[in-house]
Amino acid sequence: MKKVMFSPDRIKVIAKNTFLEAVRQKFFGFLVVIALGIIASSQVFRDFNFGAPELKFIADFGFGAIVLFGSVLAIVATAQLFFSEIENKTAITILAKPVFRSEFIFGKFIGVSALLLVFTAMMTVILAVLLFWRESALMEIDPEGFEAGRMVAYADVFLYGLVQWLKFSILCGITMVIASFSNTNLYSVILSFVVLLICHLQYLARDAWTQMDFALVQVAVFMLATVFPNFQVFNIGDQVALGESIPIGLTVRIIGYALAYVVVFNLLAVFSFRKREI
Amino acid sequence: MTPAIKIENLTKDFPLGFGHLKLRAVENLSLDIADNQVFGLLGPNGSGKSTTIKVILGLLAPTSGSCQIFGTPSGDVSSRRDVGFLPEAPYFYRYLTGYELVAFFGRICQVEEKRLHDRVSEVIEWVGLKEAAHRRVGTYSKGMLQRIGLAQALVHDPRLVILDEPTAGVDPVGSAEISSLILNLKDQGKTIILCSHLLGQVEDICDRIAILNRGKLILEGELSDLVSKKDLRSLVVQNYREDFNEELASWLKAREARLVHVEQPQYSLDRVFLEHVGRSELAREKLSERAEAAMESKSRPDGGRTE
Amino acid sequence: MNWKAIIVVIVALLVVGVALKPLEGPIWEEMREREPALRMEDLEAALGQGGTIGLLGGFRAVVADMLWLRTNAVWVAQETAVIPATETLIRLTTTVDPRPVYFWLNGSRMIAYDMAVWRVEEAGGYGEVPEAVVRRYHDEQAETAIRLLQRAHEFHEERPEILVEIANIYLRRKEDLEMAIEYYHRAALMDNAPAFAARIYAELLRRAGRNQEAYVWLKKLYPTLDPTVPQDLAPIVLSRIRELENELNIPFAERFQP
Repeated sequence: MKKVMFSPDRIKVIAKNTFLEAVRQKFFGFLVVIALGIIASSQVFRDFNFGAPELKFIADFGFGAIVLFGSVLAIVATAQLFFSEIENKTAITILAKPVFRSEFIFGKFIGVSALLLVFTAMMTVILAVLLFWRESALMEIDPEGFEAGRMVAYADVFLYGLVQWLKFSILCGITMVIASFSNTNLYSVILSFVVLLICHLQYLARDAWTQMDFALVQVAVFMLATVFPNFQVFNIGDQVALGESIPIGLTVRIIGYALAYVVVFNLLAVFSFRKREI
Repeated sequence: MTPAIKIENLTKDFPLGFGHLKLRAVENLSLDIADNQVFGLLGPNGSGKSTTIKVILGLLAPTSGSCQIFGTPSGDVSSRRDVGFLPEAPYFYRYLTGYELVAFFGRICQVEEKRLHDRVSEVIEWVGLKEAAHRRVGTYSKGMLQRIGLAQALVHDPRLVILDEPTAGVDPVGSAEISSLILNLKDQGKTIILCSHLLGQVEDICDRIAILNRGKLILEGELSDLVSKKDLRSLVVQNYREDFNEELASWLKAREARLVHVEQPQYSLDRVFLEHVGRSELAREKLSERAEAAMESKSRPDGGRTE
Repeated sequence: MNWKAIIVVIVALLVVGVALKPLEGPIWEEMREREPALRMEDLEAALGQGGTIGLLGGFRAVVADMLWLRTNAVWVAQETAVIPATETLIRLTTTVDPRPVYFWLNGSRMIAYDMAVWRVEEAGGYGEVPEAVVRRYHDEQAETAIRLLQRAHEFHEERPEILVEIANIYLRRKEDLEMAIEYYHRAALMDNAPAFAARIYAELLRRAGRNQEAYVWLKKLYPTLDPTVPQDLAPIVLSRIRELENELNIPFAERFQP
């Protein structure tokens, strides 16, 4: 019998299907509408007549909306798509075909990651358009505030979008690992949010473990700081909003860090899913 | 010749929560399923049928023992190249059309892109969904879902087809159509494993059956050997009168035979339903001979039996 | 649940975490340099646990923005009763996110200028309140504002706007010419100082009667000015130099030659 080989084509087919399924979920549309609403509501800042600093407010709120809703989407969509496959037995139908479990996991990941890319890109473009439009208007009202030309570094706004997408992809990988060994959707979602919180706060442990008095506490805090990725390194939005540019070398290293974790969590999801009984 | 499926001493345990408690779903099962037949896998709920099928499909790893498909261990992804599977109560991606769904699975099975369109159209037509091919699966009835499920199981032209409750929730007309499709598959030289609670259907189409209970194989053999009473015959007579009984009995007694019972034969409700509602000529034709036979056998649970 | 798999996952993440430290460490060092420290005690007292977690979780700028919007809403209401509330909000905004200079500057202006007026008006208005009381209100508000700006300076040592702002409050509210001179001087010495800081420094020196110092300063300043940059106002500086030379009776031969 001909041997079945690992196939990128199959991954592509599964990814495409996952993406289409995700896009057609009501939840995605709902998040897009809410996030757009929040970005659009930054129009209220006009009432305060801040002048040029209004742009900082718009950027902060736009970035905040992207991070918040992107994280929610990354976790909920991943868990939802994973468990709908299991519960609706579509996973059984697929895995009863000549398909490697790793292909299934990679396909799911790429599909959700593509969804997150679409979401992030859409939000980033809309935010950039809004900033550009307000900046142009403000430049006419308050030319003095813009003596040095445009204040918003649009390239950095898109860089921000890219870095957030990578962060969401890590989060998708984390959710996938959790989903691959847990039994319910809700449990996976809750646990993933807890992990997200820890990843955002791990820098506290990271910076503090050497100062702990007890060896045992020190080991525990060290574990906390080492097991979880440091999500604060992706937090470049505040600097972008303040108009401080991000050095290219730093950007490259941040992207490298993100990609390393994307790969690691995918491999761990495959490992954990490999023996899962369906 | 390699059997389609060879199961040897298969045991499957499921851990129950923490601790070391285990549920034994299948115990020491050995089964050979030869090529080109319709094989019925029967048993009450919880008897280990589904577990056995999942082991065959490589979805579960055996606790001990082994399972081979056409000689390849079932844990090996390659073993599934020649297997088509229709899960129980299939639920597919609802937003895809029937055509897209079958094409999706065709691509998963690496049906060549240039042959894909023809092959997908072929199997969809074959299961009788040509008209509905470009409707979303979400709008399909249960019977249509089973048929599109059958189409996706066949898209890569497997030699072995495993059908888990293919007629659950399907009306008798649809059910009869699916039965005729299964017989068609056998004619094409495929091996079919049928899991069903509808014993009437199993009886109609299976060549061999195995019955599982509490994880153990309790009966296996040719269907005809298991169900027919070889020393009995029934006669169907027009214008029969009750006063014939005595004379007939003595006539038979003289030839060392015995009249067991006389009863009015009945058509099966299935057949009456199909003849009146019959939406598909195909199903009626295909099943007519068998229905005829079924009518006879079902009419004699107690009567019409003569010796 | 498969505990063995979970343990393997955790161990693997631990190994990966250690392996990625050389990559992550320098990134984090660099990021943290750009991040002024959060003062946890202040924040928890003010926001409670939930708010603090929001901040730490990456929504710091948004939380600060919201506080600033509250500050503005209260400020627009312009009532004396809200002076403590406004001051607290300003302090909180700058504690949550000390990075935007905008918060510090505008907050200090509200405290020094607007609130002083509110207090006088609350007490009966500028015609009615005795001069000494007005003076005291102005002083107190100015001092609060200067304290705020001095904290701002700790976070933003490289920003001359903050020193200029302090100088202006000394000048306009405290009428303390010497302190105003000192702060303008410090601002003017910075590399990225606005051109006007150096001119105003000289102007204030003149006003304090320190013409000689002003003259020396301007003579040093003039060669650094760019005649093509309109904000540098090189011709005006030159005319100031001439005025000072007249006032100081500098002999014609010793006069400044541009």
